[in-house]
Amino acid sequence: MSETRGSSAPLLSGLGDPQRQRLANGVELVSLPLPEAPLVCIDFWCQAGSSFERQQEHGLAHFLEHMVFKGSDALAAGEFDRRVEALGGMTNAATGFDDVHFHVLIPPDAAAEALDLLLDLVLRPRLEAEAFAMERQVVLEELAQSEDQPEEVALQRLLAEACPGHPYSLPILGDRESLLRHDPETMAAFHQRLYRPGGCVLSLAGAIADGQLATRAALGPLGSLTNGDPTETTQPPALQVVPGEQRLALPRLEAARLLMAWAQPPAGNLEALIGSDLATTVLSEGRRSRLVDRLREDLRLVESIDLDLHAMQGGSLALLEAVCEPDDLEAVRQAITEVWQEVMAAPIGKEEWERAQRLVANSYRFSLESSAGVAGLIGSNQLWQRENRLASPLEMLQRWTPETLQQQVLIGFDPALATVLEAVPA
Amino acid sequence: MTIHQRLALSGGLPVVVQERPGPSLLAARLVLRGGSSADPRHQRGAHQLLAGLMTRGCGSLDAEALADCVEGRGASLRAEASEDALMVGLHCAAEDADVLLPLLLEMVRRPRLEADQVELERQLNLQTLRRQREDPFQLAHDALRTLLYGDGPYGHDPLGVEEELADLTGPDLRSLVTGLGTEGAVLVLCGTVPPDLQALLEAPLSHSPWTTALPPSLGSENSQPPSALCGNIELQEQDTEQLVLMLGTPTLPLGHPDGPALRLLQTHLGSGMSARLFQVMREERGLAYDVGVHMPARSGAAPFVMHLSSSADRAEEATHCLLDEWSRLLEEPLSAAEMELAQAKFRGQDAMGRQTCSQIADRLSLVLSHGLPENHVERTLERASRLTPDDLQQAAGRWLGHPSLSLVGPAEGLDPAESVWDDHPLNQGIPQD
Repeated sequence: MSETRGSSAPLLSGLGDPQRQRLANGVELVSLPLPEAPLVCIDFWCQAGSSFERQQEHGLAHFLEHMVFKGSDALAAGEFDRRVEALGGMTNAATGFDDVHFHVLIPPDAAAEALDLLLDLVLRPRLEAEAFAMERQVVLEELAQSEDQPEEVALQRLLAEACPGHPYSLPILGDRESLLRHDPETMAAFHQRLYRPGGCVLSLAGAIADGQLATRAALGPLGSLTNGDPTETTQPPALQVVPGEQRLALPRLEAARLLMAWAQPPAGNLEALIGSDLATTVLSEGRRSRLVDRLREDLRLVESIDLDLHAMQGGSLALLEAVCEPDDLEAVRQAITEVWQEVMAAPIGKEEWERAQRLVANSYRFSLESSAGVAGLIGSNQLWQRENRLASPLEMLQRWTPETLQQQVLIGFDPALATVLEAVPA
Repeated sequence: MTIHQRLALSGGLPVVVQERPGPSLLAARLVLRGGSSADPRHQRGAHQLLAGLMTRGCGSLDAEALADCVEGRGASLRAEASEDALMVGLHCAAEDADVLLPLLLEMVRRPRLEADQVELERQLNLQTLRRQREDPFQLAHDALRTLLYGDGPYGHDPLGVEEELADLTGPDLRSLVTGLGTEGAVLVLCGTVPPDLQALLEAPLSHSPWTTALPPSLGSENSQPPSALCGNIELQEQDTEQLVLMLGTPTLPLGHPDGPALRLLQTHLGSGMSARLFQVMREERGLAYDVGVHMPARSGAAPFVMHLSSSADRAEEATHCLLDEWSRLLEEPLSAAEMELAQAKFRGQDAMGRQTCSQIADRLSLVLSHGLPENHVERTLERASRLTPDDLQQAAGRWLGHPSLSLVGPAEGLDPAESVWDDHPLNQGIPQD
């Protein structure tokens, strides 16, 4: 297991480490040349997720992500998309609890133009009243669409029960009442406060070896950005999960759901988080994982059982979802408890250990195949000042042993420590 | 930068290799023509069930041993039936390919189909079919499929029909295995390929010979618009906030000369945030969050579907707007600027779909399994670049004349939507010859 420790070359072939650059105003750039990639990914990251909404600002982080595309000082509504797509590019954005990012995938010869357009769009949004009112309708439709999926409703309820009072307990989309109250001025203040040097990172990956893009970015609105207070630190509050049990009857549900949430280490603690990744892999990744093997293949109690790790700054969450008959909920919970007791009773054997290590390592390696995968990883790592050498996760993976995993990580998956929600058809 | 290599195995299976620099991994796709559209009578769901069972034991490996072999190497192996094909896909580190790659052939030639595993997989598929009904989009999609295809080959979900799936047995699947590959098959590899490929793949065939060949051309260029083109409507009442609308019609197979024209229309209407439907329905009216056009590649009459979901209290406006946008395709040509944008986006999408080994293997195997030449995508791009707005309008006239509408939502949304449909010119037209 340790024969390659200390030399990163065999762990991750073909990829160097990201290059960092800090502009005079404190904005950070991070980039990784991928000469063979057909598309360049330009990814702007900002510490402006829903966690940083104040009272009265609920839903604003995500609503702002929508409004950014409604035009800027230099770009009319829709002009950005039209121009980027006419260059053969594609844009998208996503708002999380911690951060928001806007990215463009674009052929290398059009990357410079796309970069100028993206930075203007994100840093100088228009936030026009008429467009604001229209886009609010779209966000309300997005909310309605999500509420028509009973599985989504159950998940939101689980989060509300797991960490009451914490920003992670609230839906990123916001609620109707707050959305109807927001106005462009509040949103402009939110943008002014959080889209600031020290709180944003530009990430570039693809055929960018000449460094022209980074130079160009420094000369534009990114280099002259003066929003906010550069000394302000943005960290979500520490997450604590409240153990407990709830039952919820939902209309239009066809099968019951057992949902469970466990607290895991914050994303900043990369080595601990890799332990969590190994643990969730042992427990639920693939047919031969402990939970799938027992509950689906052997006892045949569930249609599916998944345990996913959601890495977050304030503390990560491991979320379990089992789909089963309502009458089997009790048996499913019993079986989960037994699987946990067994995994705590004896350390994992060699074959199972190597299986988990390979699944985690390959999943990481494969995620670096496209420029979007690379730009996303190095961008978010830089944004939160995390370890950013690409081989680090693979080295850390090898430092775990069956014993340390059991004593430090698996012990935390005690069902008694979880928030449990049973959702049943109404 | 990329090298194509072709070889043929004993018995005729063609292997197409695209070497690719970068991370040392391999994506493989073994595609056999004949998917859920070839499910035997009263056995709808058989091909998907068979595909699932291929991952539950083959040759000397039972279900556990096969899963240990794949997961123990951190790889992923899946098998699934689409409407037109059965596909086995592998994604693994390059150094594991010599152990894992031969499994693809074992799965297809010697699936174990153990009774106990058949029962489990069938039960899981039945549960999935039932759970899918939670999703209003799935309900609308299922109803539209029935409107467009009835009891025809494309008339059911590849997962099957509950009553028929429940009765499927191991022997039913065994008889399907015998016929696998008779309509053609192809193995596509992309990434870093083992050096002794031919010998590696011949080994499993030595004890289980397989006669097959590259899928022949389907003669799609001669297919005509389906005859059952009358517009119909289907309403399903559900206690939801939104009304889901799907408007669609059966069109043409992959490889048809009108294909590039319909693809450009799809791109114009639904691709990216500059797309017409996105601009008109979302940006100008705030009617919906999600709006788009669905047109999968098929060997037969692929559906062309516009879809959105909108709050029930805006059902009238949403329905009007959707029907008007469809009519617009028939009534007026794209402007020069719209045409230019659609063509640029169409070229752009091609690069988007070539970023990973899996994407490249998916694309190449799709084209080859339809009996189309390797350069089909390039030819389509080239043809699309020469089309005019008039060409697109004429193609729309040939294929999109009489769509059907599927609606899912609460009564207060269904009623006004139905009234709009009843009065709309799109529903009043005389069927064209």
